Amino acid sequence: MTLSVRQQLVVWGLDHLVWFILAGTLIVFSLTIDQFFQIGIFVNILRQATFVGIISVGLSLAIITGHMDLSVESVMALSAMASAYLVATNGAGLGLDLPTWMTLLVSLGIGAVIGLINGFLIVNLKISAFIVTLAAYIGVRGLGLILTGGRSMFGLPDDFRWAANAELASVPVLVLVLVATYLLFHLVLKYSRFGRYIYLIGGNPTAPFRAGIPVNRVLLSVFVIAGILAAFAGWLLAARTNGATPNLGVGMLFEAFAAVVIGGVRLAGGAGRLSGVFAGVLLMGSIDTAINVMGLPPHNTQVIRAGMVLMAVLLDSATSASRRRLMG
Amino acid sequence: MRSACLITTVLVLLAGVTTAQVEEHKKGTVIYLAPTLFDEFQTESMAAMQSMLGSIGYKVRTLDAQNRADMQLNQLENALLMSPVALIVAAVDFDSVVPGIEKARSAGIPVVIYDRQITSTVSDLSSVAGTIEIGRLAGAAAVELLQGRHGKPTRGSVLQILGDPGDSYTLEIQKGFDEVLELHPQVEVTTKAAMQWEATHAGDIAEDHLLVKPETDLIFPHAGHLAIPIVATLEAKGKRPGDVLMLTSGGSPVGLEMIRQGWMQVDVEQPLYAQVYGIAMCLDRLIAGDSLKVGTYDVTGLAAVLSNESWGPNLKIPGRAVAKANVNDKAFWGNLTPPKGPVKIIK
Repeated sequence: MTLSVRQQLVVWGLDHLVWFILAGTLIVFSLTIDQFFQIGIFVNILRQATFVGIISVGLSLAIITGHMDLSVESVMALSAMASAYLVATNGAGLGLDLPTWMTLLVSLGIGAVIGLINGFLIVNLKISAFIVTLAAYIGVRGLGLILTGGRSMFGLPDDFRWAANAELASVPVLVLVLVATYLLFHLVLKYSRFGRYIYLIGGNPTAPFRAGIPVNRVLLSVFVIAGILAAFAGWLLAARTNGATPNLGVGMLFEAFAAVVIGGVRLAGGAGRLSGVFAGVLLMGSIDTAINVMGLPPHNTQVIRAGMVLMAVLLDSATSASRRRLMG
Repeated sequence: MRSACLITTVLVLLAGVTTAQVEEHKKGTVIYLAPTLFDEFQTESMAAMQSMLGSIGYKVRTLDAQNRADMQLNQLENALLMSPVALIVAAVDFDSVVPGIEKARSAGIPVVIYDRQITSTVSDLSSVAGTIEIGRLAGAAAVELLQGRHGKPTRGSVLQILGDPGDSYTLEIQKGFDEVLELHPQVEVTTKAAMQWEATHAGDIAEDHLLVKPETDLIFPHAGHLAIPIVATLEAKGKRPGDVLMLTSGGSPVGLEMIRQGWMQVDVEQPLYAQVYGIAMCLDRLIAGDSLKVGTYDVTGLAAVLSNESWGPNLKIPGRAVAKANVNDKAFWGNLTPPKGPVKIIK
């Protein structure tokens, strides 16, 4: 079926609708909220979106394969706690004189191991990803509590905190890291064989298996990648907060889920683009920042966020239906 | 034959250990219903309960409600089936736990309210500093800090960061704090909430707020751990200790360390050890069904007043402001030095 130029434009618009919603939201906020429209606010939105943004990449990969990874928030927290535990000089921290790269390695190692265990249980023992990663979500958070005895840690070395505080050409390094992560995985999904396999497995896991695609290996890799990304986000979070607390990052899983859904990743698997997820993350971050800047009573925050998520999802389903009609 | 000997030896050893434990905890089991364990105050409370009540012959079991009022009510109902000699409750929600407290008391199990005051029903003892009172002390400290900066009349801009707005504890602190600040109309207080007491939210709130209100004089996060990312944000903005005044409540190790570093000016302490010690002093009498004599008691060096209120006997232990001058006082629980020596049980 051939589409006219106008129809092609409409389809393109529908595919990138979340970006239009984001732009519209930012314009409305800028016009209605005093002092919202300034570079500093937009930088804050990007910087504060880094952590949810990075765990959303791993979550998106898992969802596109037709599974899910509920453990990302807890892996992020454990990674932050473990790295802060090693080098923080106050609170429960050991205050060890370790090079920063080693703390990063430990964090990423934790993420990889948890991802591997998740993947093994899901792929080899055929246990539901929901159950396995739910157990990890609960258990890994508990591990952090055991590690620190429920105590906070703070006072990280300056070079550890560099990534959180430094700027390159007036752009915070955290923002560059976030953009680079999305760009990298966007390229992987779009242009690599591995990326194509992820979509194929999510669309129909049986057909790729019959076509000789190493389904199990790809799935295992996706869970390991999700674990490593979550751990990386945790390490960055520790750098930003100059330490870690046992409840660090609580609630970020749901923010990530909201961003992924708003971003248009199909929960049944097989479809979704990271560019949409990125816009979803920024949309969630914009709402949070707007609420922080507005003089709203704190009790209203969650209702507003829920309303925005619902609105975005309704819009998304309406546009999907329009798209299907257009494409015949 | 050798296996039989081995099994017998193991059984004898196990019996010995069990008997020793029973002997050590011969007064029975006390169940402590903690609101959460993701918080230094709570984990140290648990440790202090185990050590102080353990030293007078009770076994303490702690149940963690994970900040969920419904879970705490379920735990309370389950606890009644475990034949405890007493329940100690630090409520997640001050209202929803009331039916459980009433059920326990009607079953003849004494209920002690720890730290988070409940006045809507009768309990057998409350050992509290008073959350509204802590808020008022924080308010008074804020006024003093603002006067130190701008002189009189008191003026300035304050950012108050609550914990989770579903937690009665933070709302009562806010109530006390706002009560004091409302007397100073030239002080502008902006209140935000760090959902689920999550520290990153507090950091983000401070970062956004300072951007639109750079003239902010004072930040009051309701717990020490919320201050960690706020300080990181201030540092990242090139601020030095004292540029933005800070105040917190709870008296956690983190808060005290920040006072030493100069980032925090005041931390209003909830006297954790004294509150637990107060329970330990009275527990034997409560379980025996004796009434407690009203008056002033020395609780770990603090003058605690026991009074009879409409909600039952109330042991009020004053909270104290921790500042640079007294931060190393070992009596503050944030210095993690629990009181030594045997508990002086009320006769």
